[in-house]
Amino acid sequence: MPLKKVGELVIPSSLDHLSEVDHFAERMVKKLALPKEILDDVAISATEAVNNAILHGNKGNAGKKVTIRFYLCAQYLRLVVRDEGSGFAPESVPDPRQQQNLLKTSGRGLLIMRYLMDRVSFQRRRNGMSIIMDKFCPECHTVQSGGG
Amino acid sequence: MKLKAREVEGIIVLEVKGQMIGGPEAAVLPETIKAEIDKGKKRFVLDLGEVDRMNSTGLGNLIGSLTTIKNAGGELKLANVAEKIQSLLLITKLVTIFESHDTVDKAVRSF
Ligand SMILES: Nc1ncnc2c1ncn2[C@@H]1O[C@H](COP(=O)(O)OP(=O)(O)OP(=O)(O)O)[C@@H](O)[C@H]1O
Ligand SMILES: [Mg+2]
Repeated sequence: MPLKKVGELVIPSSLDHLSEVDHFAERMVKKLALPKEILDDVAISATEAVNNAILHGNKGNAGKKVTIRFYLCAQYLRLVVRDEGSGFAPESVPDPRQQQNLLKTSGRGLLIMRYLMDRVSFQRRRNGMSIIMDKFCPECHTVQSGGG
Repeated sequence: MKLKAREVEGIIVLEVKGQMIGGPEAAVLPETIKAEIDKGKKRFVLDLGEVDRMNSTGLGNLIGSLTTIKNAGGELKLANVAEKIQSLLLITKLVTIFESHDTVDKAVRSF
């Protein structure tokens, strides 16, 4: 079963919209009747990625947009968050678990997304950076065939 | 996120409700702690029992609170940490820097 787009939200780069993103993710998981266990993981990862898109990607420039998209196929729910920034090299981000980083108040977002979601990858384009996160769910299959 | 502060035997118990995911209302935690420190309070318990979602910004707020309180010569203990939040503390290795208790009562009595 092919990957199908099931929802999209576009917001300006302002942290005032974070709770809207949380609600959107929650509505999405509920509308698709996906298991409740994945709700928190997906919602947290959504606000986490949007936080990064706003602050690091778009550097708080309210004129730049953040796009949040959900896709579904038989095996997983996919969440894609895209900004209009110049991107970054994920492999060169410092490990927040190292002793000298433990008391820092930031630097844990990517670690948390990788923990909560089953597969995380990045796509760097000329006009923006995307983070792509998949959450596997056995029930996705029944959702797709049942819901059309 | 909502915050309620009360005093139990000289210890400030901060009860957080809702989501610790950043956003404009997150500032209430450091502001409240600072105000209590200015009043001379040094011992704090952060009750996380009603927190339903936490992300890295929320964890950052926890660390910021701990640092502020420690720098003032005080102590911060966590209480009622739900399983989901505990697992975040584990994978980030933050369990090593926070003292945590099952209940507010136990946290209060541990000072
Ligand atoms: N969309 C993005 N565009 C550009 N840089 C990014 C993006 N996302 C992450 N980064 C870079 O990766 C680093 C690590 O991101 P991560 O989310 O782990 O931590 P943080 O955002 O710095 O802090 P925290 O998420 O804990 O509040 C960021 O500091 C930033 O340099
Ligand atoms: Mg981040």
